[in-house]
Amino acid sequence: MKLRQRVSLLIRGKKPRHSGTARLLHWLYAPAVLGSALSGFYIHWPGSSLGFRKMNTARETHFFAQFTLLFTYIARVMYGLKGKNYREILPNRKTLSDMAKFLKYEFYLTDKEPKFPKYNPGQKVLFTGMVLFVLIQIITGLSLYFPKSWQKTAKLVGGLNPLRKLHFLSALTISILVTGHLYFVFTHEYKKMKSIFTGYE
Amino acid sequence: MKQFSKKSRPPVIWLGTNTCAGDMLSLLNSLEPGYQSLITDLIDFRFNYLLGSAEGDTATGVLKAVTEEQRGKYILVIEGTIPTRTNGLYCVVGNRDGKPLTALQAVRELGGGARHVVAAGTCASFGGPYAAAPNPSESVPVQAVLDRKVINVPGCPINPDWMMGTLVHLVQYGEPELDGFNRPKIFYGDTIHDICQRRAYFEDGIFAEKPGDPWCMYKIGCKGPVTYADCPNRQWSGEHLSWPVKANTPCIGCTSPEFPDGDAPFFEHLPDINLPGIKISANRFARLAGAATAFGISIHLIGSILTGRVADTIKKDFSGGISRKLLSIIKNTDGKRYGGKN
Repeated sequence: MKLRQRVSLLIRGKKPRHSGTARLLHWLYAPAVLGSALSGFYIHWPGSSLGFRKMNTARETHFFAQFTLLFTYIARVMYGLKGKNYREILPNRKTLSDMAKFLKYEFYLTDKEPKFPKYNPGQKVLFTGMVLFVLIQIITGLSLYFPKSWQKTAKLVGGLNPLRKLHFLSALTISILVTGHLYFVFTHEYKKMKSIFTGYE
Repeated sequence: MKQFSKKSRPPVIWLGTNTCAGDMLSLLNSLEPGYQSLITDLIDFRFNYLLGSAEGDTATGVLKAVTEEQRGKYILVIEGTIPTRTNGLYCVVGNRDGKPLTALQAVRELGGGARHVVAAGTCASFGGPYAAAPNPSESVPVQAVLDRKVINVPGCPINPDWMMGTLVHLVQYGEPELDGFNRPKIFYGDTIHDICQRRAYFEDGIFAEKPGDPWCMYKIGCKGPVTYADCPNRQWSGEHLSWPVKANTPCIGCTSPEFPDGDAPFFEHLPDINLPGIKISANRFARLAGAATAFGISIHLIGSILTGRVADTIKKDFSGGISRKLLSIIKNTDGKRYGGKN
């Protein structure tokens, strides 16, 4: 029992939290987002600090990462719609009132930690933001990758330069959201972090 | 000199509106075919704002005559933006019956009866510099005042071949294949980046650090990857000698619909970001956003440590040796006050 307690983080809990499909997709799109961001920022500003030595390597990385992200995004959205688990993620009317309690606690105005179902209002906003901004990335990214056949998208925003700016700003927003996600993962309830590996908290 | 087929030369009206005249001057630099060949073999210039010597009713009378007698036969070329403020009075192309004939009025009258309407240069095609902010004359491109298809031949200025080639195509073969922005694909079918002679340097990561360096201009703001034109192959001007990148300076994207407001500054990779009352470069905006994120997270983390929340999390979710080690680190940081809370 003592040994079990020592390695409790590695042992599967009892309460189910993430299905196998959700975990599989998470661990596919997580590196895809990371790879897209690193290679994308290198393409934006070529330098040696992001781990690429040649533009061609960065572009190849971006190519594989972006298409992995595209397919896993579609799969995750379909899975969310089929299992109706999108309801756990999308904010609703209650999220608004919950947000006040959540922010009060996060800004240290109260010590009483409010309890929420699977995701707190902050997570809901963060995950919904990811869904929206990844969609923007996919549309703007494909328009930049296929500029001739997707010229209507460029026309919609006024040209390829504004489109490229939109792609960059969206990437920046996703990077900020991911940073926030990682921060909360590593500082709040490790048993929840554990569940993305084991499925149970 | 290249001989054209014996088709009758269509009448052409070349109207100058709010323009620097750069596009007409560029066309005059065409060598194969040259201007002489253009006017003797290909087209019948009935009106040209820059080269004509007539004025007043004599000049505007030609416009009226062509509109009435050659309806559906003439080609209308417009160079420059169309100002719309005060009913177009910011650009008067001539006098008619003692009254000013505005560009807005002339383009609407002439545009309806033309066989083809061609916008020469980026200003006429998309607004360009003459419609750039703050745009006091409220200028718009030709397409914005005509309810019919306008063939856009952008460039600041146009390469003589782009205009000459479009005219030859219109006269000899009809309307050329156009892209989504109504630009002839024969000249605007590929991005400059895709046909650039320095593309290999881009792939290998060999970049110019300043204008004058003989490498890929990407890092100093080259707009080649997002600009459609055949400059690298065709080169400038009539002699086809050089083009911006060959002259060691970045492409500024002058054939793009967003030029110049939407792709400036020219020596930056991305256009500036316009926030209310502030204009900021994309890179600076990214640095500020990153710093704000780091600052917010740091403050929250410090708060979490000081209030004992991090310690609580560790204690709750870890047990045994790991927990004690992590807690001892935090206690050493926080002091007894917060360590005692757990």
